[in-house]
Amino acid sequence: MLDKLLLIWESLPLLIRGAIVTLELTMSLLAIGFVLGLIVALGQVYGPRPIAMLMSGYERFFRAMPILVLLIVFFYGLAFLGVSLPAFGTAVLVFGLHSSAYQSQIFRGSIQAIKPGQILAARALGMTRLQVIRYITLPQALRLAIPGWSNEYSGVLKDTSFAFAIGVTELARQGWQIATRTREMFLVFISVALIYLLLTYLGTWLLELLERYLSVPGLAGQRREEHGRVV
Amino acid sequence: MRAIVRWGVVVGVLAVALGIWGLAPQAQTQVFRVCSDIAWPPFEWVDAKGEFVGFDLDVMRIIAILKGYKITIQNLGFDSIIPAVQAGQCDIGASGFTITEERKKVVDFSDPYWESNQSVLVRADSGLNIITAFKPGNKIGAQRGTTGAQWVEDNVIKQGIAVELKLYETYPLAEQDLINKQLHAVVEDEPAAKVAVKASKGVLKIVGIIMTEERFGFLVRKGDPLKLLPRINDGMKEMKKKSIWNNLVEAYFGVDVNLERITQCWADLKGWLDKNQPEAYAENLAACMAGESYKKP
Repeated sequence: MLDKLLLIWESLPLLIRGAIVTLELTMSLLAIGFVLGLIVALGQVYGPRPIAMLMSGYERFFRAMPILVLLIVFFYGLAFLGVSLPAFGTAVLVFGLHSSAYQSQIFRGSIQAIKPGQILAARALGMTRLQVIRYITLPQALRLAIPGWSNEYSGVLKDTSFAFAIGVTELARQGWQIATRTREMFLVFISVALIYLLLTYLGTWLLELLERYLSVPGLAGQRREEHGRVV
Repeated sequence: MRAIVRWGVVVGVLAVALGIWGLAPQAQTQVFRVCSDIAWPPFEWVDAKGEFVGFDLDVMRIIAILKGYKITIQNLGFDSIIPAVQAGQCDIGASGFTITEERKKVVDFSDPYWESNQSVLVRADSGLNIITAFKPGNKIGAQRGTTGAQWVEDNVIKQGIAVELKLYETYPLAEQDLINKQLHAVVEDEPAAKVAVKASKGVLKIVGIIMTEERFGFLVRKGDPLKLLPRINDGMKEMKKKSIWNNLVEAYFGVDVNLERITQCWADLKGWLDKNQPEAYAENLAACMAGESYKKP
């Protein structure tokens, strides 16, 4: 028993190194997905017809593609075209594009939840369309998007384990390598599972704090308490 | 609106910077990317500090020293290495690849550097022998894309013996399934099978060797555009002449394959490689493995 605990203790630096790669990958892909996803969502909701159709096409395409297929196509395809991107960069790009399609739908939903009356009112006050998006739609929509976005975080965090297909040594692969050397599959992967659990828990907890910190009384869908009961 | 323009400029500058960085001229010493599935001791594995250890990798490092180029080692799934070499994402594949006609169609191989036979692994308490292990209906495990899997296909299944071939991502996983009694036998290369027997502490044993006489080679892109094969072949000859080769083979494939010990010896002695002294490295590694006194760099 003691020697098994010792084995996990000795493997911890490697597992942590893997967890850092997993986190770096997750953060970068979420950032790319956030920017692109927001653009796609705004294009779908407010864009003129051709733009809206283009954005929908993009979103459907990337939602339809299995992540593993995209990884292989980009990694080998780009090299074939003479573009040499390191494995980590390719993974960030592919996961980012994939996630942007999913994130766009989180944002589209929350953008559409803003009542049209508000937009009409803002326009009547003389705001430009961009000002309406900047000052009326986005501040509310982004707040509403946090719960869905936290779901996306916990989803992609685990998807990143596919990145080993192109040689990124993240948490799950570190587990593989340790298990290969020590032949303690069960023990090693239980530890890997616990680290994923911890990362998911921490991330969603931080997002929950953010949600509470940013909450605005009266915003639709926001949990709020009045006279001691949840409304 | 102004904010959008400002961000647009930032993104534009970043894109241009990235482009220039990508086009920057390469460093003077050539650096080649060696790809390996580092999960197959004793040919390649990752030690407790995360360092890449193993026979294939040492050979690659020593040839690089002898021939005056540098390498980076990239850890990639076994299945992905040949496509990566074809696409130019890797320059050399060094992962215990058997030279086969099929593979020769898509990549070029170096001179053979190792001869291996397939061995049949079973549980020691199963009472199976090399004949009964392949009884129709039995489950046989192998790693996907390996010559072990190919051998079962060609010489058992295609001969009309209906065994069930189960393919795994890596051999250690197949061995685990064998220990868990989900398989009757595993077919894999002899040196790796010996490591498995040792690691299982007597649960597994080798019941027989199939003399496939496979030869391992390092592989490069078809046509060898980087002119690597002459350097690799020459480097191997030089290693043999300077008896680096014999010492390495003794250290990695000696009578008793002991992963812990060799990892320790390697960590003590790899400094010789950093000092570009492969002869001292190999000599001391062999001495360390034999339990004799050795000199740290």
